[in-house]
Amino acid sequence: MNNLYKHVSARIGNLSLIAATYLFLYVPIVVLIVFSFNSEQFPSPWVQFTWKWYRELFESVHLWQSFINSLIVAVSSTSLSLILGLCLIFYHAQGGRIGKFLLLFYGNLVIPETVLAVSLLAFFALISIPLGFPTLIIAHTLLGLGFVIPILTARYLELDPKMNEVSLVLGASQMQTFFKITLPLLRPSLIATALLVFIISFDDFILSYFCAGSTAQTLSLYLLSMLRSGVSPVVNALSTLLLCLSSLLVLIFFSIKARSRIF
Amino acid sequence: MKLFKKELPFSIGAPAIIWQMVFFYVPLFLLTLSSIIKISSQGHFESLTLDHFAALLKPAYAKIIFRSLFLALGNALLCLCLAYPLAYFLAFRGKRFKNILLFLLIVPFWTNFLLHVYAWYYVLEREGFLNNLLMKIGMIHKPLILLNSLFAIVLMMVYYYLPFMVLPIYTSLERFELRLQEASLDLGASWFETFRRVLLPLSWPGVQAGFFLVFIPSFGEFAIPELMGGDKQFFVGSVVSHYILGETTGSLGAAFTVMSCLALLLSAILLYSVMRRLFKKTWNG
Repeated sequence: MNNLYKHVSARIGNLSLIAATYLFLYVPIVVLIVFSFNSEQFPSPWVQFTWKWYRELFESVHLWQSFINSLIVAVSSTSLSLILGLCLIFYHAQGGRIGKFLLLFYGNLVIPETVLAVSLLAFFALISIPLGFPTLIIAHTLLGLGFVIPILTARYLELDPKMNEVSLVLGASQMQTFFKITLPLLRPSLIATALLVFIISFDDFILSYFCAGSTAQTLSLYLLSMLRSGVSPVVNALSTLLLCLSSLLVLIFFSIKARSRIF
Repeated sequence: MKLFKKELPFSIGAPAIIWQMVFFYVPLFLLTLSSIIKISSQGHFESLTLDHFAALLKPAYAKIIFRSLFLALGNALLCLCLAYPLAYFLAFRGKRFKNILLFLLIVPFWTNFLLHVYAWYYVLEREGFLNNLLMKIGMIHKPLILLNSLFAIVLMMVYYYLPFMVLPIYTSLERFELRLQEASLDLGASWFETFRRVLLPLSWPGVQAGFFLVFIPSFGEFAIPELMGGDKQFFVGSVVSHYILGETTGSLGAAFTVMSCLALLLSAILLYSVMRRLFKKTWNG
């Protein structure tokens, strides 16, 4: 009896801890969303339901420009890092040895992003490349490579090597084997990694802050300027939409079976 | 595989490696180099020097580095305390809520973190949610000043980095079977014993991965202290960005960056070996 009592109280203790953690995670988000529908600006209490901040949001030119900039950067750096990563894996698939080179890419995880950002900034200044889209895409591709290469090579090594051999023995070329056998087998992890890298680039703040210059204002930088200029319900409306967007992406991510393999 | 000849030469794999070398290692190397050279006023190389480092040998700078190390360590430990029960719950007790709880954990993680900073403003403001709540239930009589403090920084850090800790621990816990734990309990071990002797050693790789995934980036973090801490809280990240972005303080900034990276590296190695010894002493001895 005593044991049962202990067991139950431990369960309740654990449950309340979990509930508290989720409360901690979601209270700010819920408050944020609620205030995006309030007709008066914060810190006024709840007055009336309204859509007006959303209307204002859709009319803001600046914001959409930065949203599109972020999309451009995220899409191009994701595709670049995936292509670069796949090329490396193709070389590996042909029997080339990349073991030593793989270690190079772990640096991206070990060096704090701030340090990478300032060293890139100094580097671009030194070889006088003006800051803008190219520099930002270069920086974000680096960020992407740090995820793409370790994850994809790990998944590649888990594939059954017999598949490859059978295809080669049956007379397919290396290229055919890669595109018809290896790539389809890797597809779930490829999509999952692409989503991960996309969202990391899309939400990145530190590299954007240092490497964007004035021409390539991304969403993070726009949000920063909004934060500095004070609280506006338009940002709440934007946040609500972005939360919907990331929920959608997470759902897609979840529906891919390979998800548990990424973390 | 040797039977089949390569169709494409090494150059197919090379672009990724070149990219990594040129844009990652070369800039880091140049940054390190610029911290030890003296440049004349015409912009020519003069000599090797340790002057920049000498200029940094002041207690103020050491204090900033130590503060950042403590912040990172504290953040990692706090995250660990919150993350372990959560990961445990997700792995074993979540049942049909498991997926929805995982989903709810990842959504904020995949949303721009400036939005979270913004959201916490609403909660922590003078007339914000928390102050209003506490005043309504009568715990305080005048609003607390919560923003622009160390408290706000730590809160935001834990909030942002929590998933980095939960996910690796969750993955390592999910891999082993609940039966091991049941066996241990059946054989008469207490909950605590089971945790200490079965659960923790088996999830140790996850704990370690999560710890460093939180510790390393939070050392260099500069956005959170800047946005949540007002202008009085200085950490490595903010100092580095001020110096590097400054007109004349570039090489000093470079030296400071190198110095803090060394401090980070040393403390990471130290922490790693302490963790390993702890592991060996507790479970293999």
